[in-house]
Amino acid sequence: MTQPTGELFDLGYQHYDGPREGRMRARKAVFVDGFKTTLGLGRGSGAKVLPFLLFGAAMAPAVIMAIIASVTNNLVDLPGHSIYYQIVSIVLLIFAAIIAPELLCPDRRNGVISLYLVRPLSITDYVAARWLAFFVITLLLVYSGQVVLLLSLVLSAADPMEYLQDNWLDIPRILAAGFLLAAFITTLPLAVSALTDRRAFAAAFVIGLFIISGAAGGFLTSCDEHDDSGRSGQCEPITGGAGKWLGLVDVSEVPNNVNTMIFNAEDEGDRARLIAELPRVVPIGLYLILTGGLAFILWWRYQRLTV
Amino acid sequence: MPTLLEARSLTKHYGQTIALESVNFQVQDGITGLLGPNGAGKSTAIKLFLGLLKPTSGSAEVLGELPYESVGIRARLGYMPEHDCLPTAITASEFLTHMAQVSGIPPAQARTRSADILRHVGLEEELYRPIGQYSTGMKQRVKLAQSLAHDPVVVLLDEPTAGLDPGGREEMLKLIRRTGHEFGISIILSSHLMGDVESTCDRIIVLESGRVTEEGAVAQFTRETETLLIDADGNQEELITALAGRGVTAIIDGVSLAVELDSDEQYDAIRDSLVETNSRLRRMSLRRHELTDIFRNDQK
Repeated sequence: MTQPTGELFDLGYQHYDGPREGRMRARKAVFVDGFKTTLGLGRGSGAKVLPFLLFGAAMAPAVIMAIIASVTNNLVDLPGHSIYYQIVSIVLLIFAAIIAPELLCPDRRNGVISLYLVRPLSITDYVAARWLAFFVITLLLVYSGQVVLLLSLVLSAADPMEYLQDNWLDIPRILAAGFLLAAFITTLPLAVSALTDRRAFAAAFVIGLFIISGAAGGFLTSCDEHDDSGRSGQCEPITGGAGKWLGLVDVSEVPNNVNTMIFNAEDEGDRARLIAELPRVVPIGLYLILTGGLAFILWWRYQRLTV
Repeated sequence: MPTLLEARSLTKHYGQTIALESVNFQVQDGITGLLGPNGAGKSTAIKLFLGLLKPTSGSAEVLGELPYESVGIRARLGYMPEHDCLPTAITASEFLTHMAQVSGIPPAQARTRSADILRHVGLEEELYRPIGQYSTGMKQRVKLAQSLAHDPVVVLLDEPTAGLDPGGREEMLKLIRRTGHEFGISIILSSHLMGDVESTCDRIIVLESGRVTEEGAVAQFTRETETLLIDADGNQEELITALAGRGVTAIIDGVSLAVELDSDEQYDAIRDSLVETNSRLRRMSLRRHELTDIFRNDQK
């Protein structure tokens, strides 16, 4: 039998004399927590299902396009980067509407926000860290799909280098348009989440807003008759000259209106054709005012928070 | 003894409602009770010291700094709110680790602190269960633990025994006494329960209607005066009159008569009054004052 060689002591409470990293560590911690919450990391398996399902849905169009490009050896004319953003923005909007409230609503509903506010962290730090966490995830999501699509287009081209030389401008366009899309998709649901403690209400409101404004925009810009080609450019919208302005009511299309300009692409839809008739400053101004206004609501609501 | 917290002409108004009016006091090391009825201004005072509210006028200083203006000082403060403040889906260990990091502690050290603190509050067995599955008593311990996770200089506890049964309440008070006396972390304990303050605190500050009405060591309030309780059969009013005739003031206190003793001669007057009114004495004993008397005196 071996003899005991040591003893265990209960040293009691030990004061902490290690590093204290203050406000920057606090901001990082809220950011990382927001990142993990969005993806359901560190939570039960149920919390991971929805984020990864929606992540898969957002990536699916790019993957499908890549497969088609490789199988058909680029004989099929694939949709471009602008179209990809338009397709994926619908999935992203649903993703954001459902997941983003998780970053703000439970903290207020459970009262945890009062614990954040007594730590070395301002309320603006808290909101900014949460916003940034969701923005980074959304940005990674939109860029990932575009990278897949770009690679597939390059690799399936007869001469990849020539394709890149001809289309290199797509890269800054992808970056700029993705940034604008992610900023809008992050800010809208977070601003709505700042106004209610209940996640379901926030998600329902955002999705309802997209559906109603989308339907209203589509109806107000629809044409009462088309020419033989079926193109709406030659038709008069049912709302007459106001149609091109009324097309702006579709909230979900606000970032896409700007992205169409960035890619200098032509959109075949009635609404998009009408908006293209507007001065360029109008869709850009609408995007900036709406995104900036929502960001202000988010910030303002938290400045007025009482715990 | 260093001053941890100092209120200087501290005033807070909510519109027309006065929560605190020109309050002055200092808090040093140890356990200090902030005592007062609901609506006295205790929670407002705590929120002013935490920087959650801005004073209407005056100042609430913590370690010489203003927490409303300097968020950095909050790294040395702990806070246990009265209301619910816990997430339900994550474990206590994850929650404390996160909160320690939000207080500026690096991740590796935060994990160690989290495990240590949960052991100190008696939750080591529950480390990996979601907080939503905890009992009320366990949740109160997690609330206390999160306030200690970053080793603060001073912790502000707002009604820490709220919602606890008698056993859980005593356990919580024991834990608070350990935190203050063994861990060496100063505590401000806000409560409307005299028993909690009396059994836990070294000093008290009494707030009523937004003003400080009393301040001092708890021992000072519990021994300053003594009351003689007289239980006797017979007409209490006659006995009070007979005592008054001999210069002794007695008041009805429940089923007893209470006499504030200031000399031994009063015992003779009580004896003679009992004989005169033909009252049979059942019990006569000294009662140590309790903190409740502070409020009784104010109401007189």
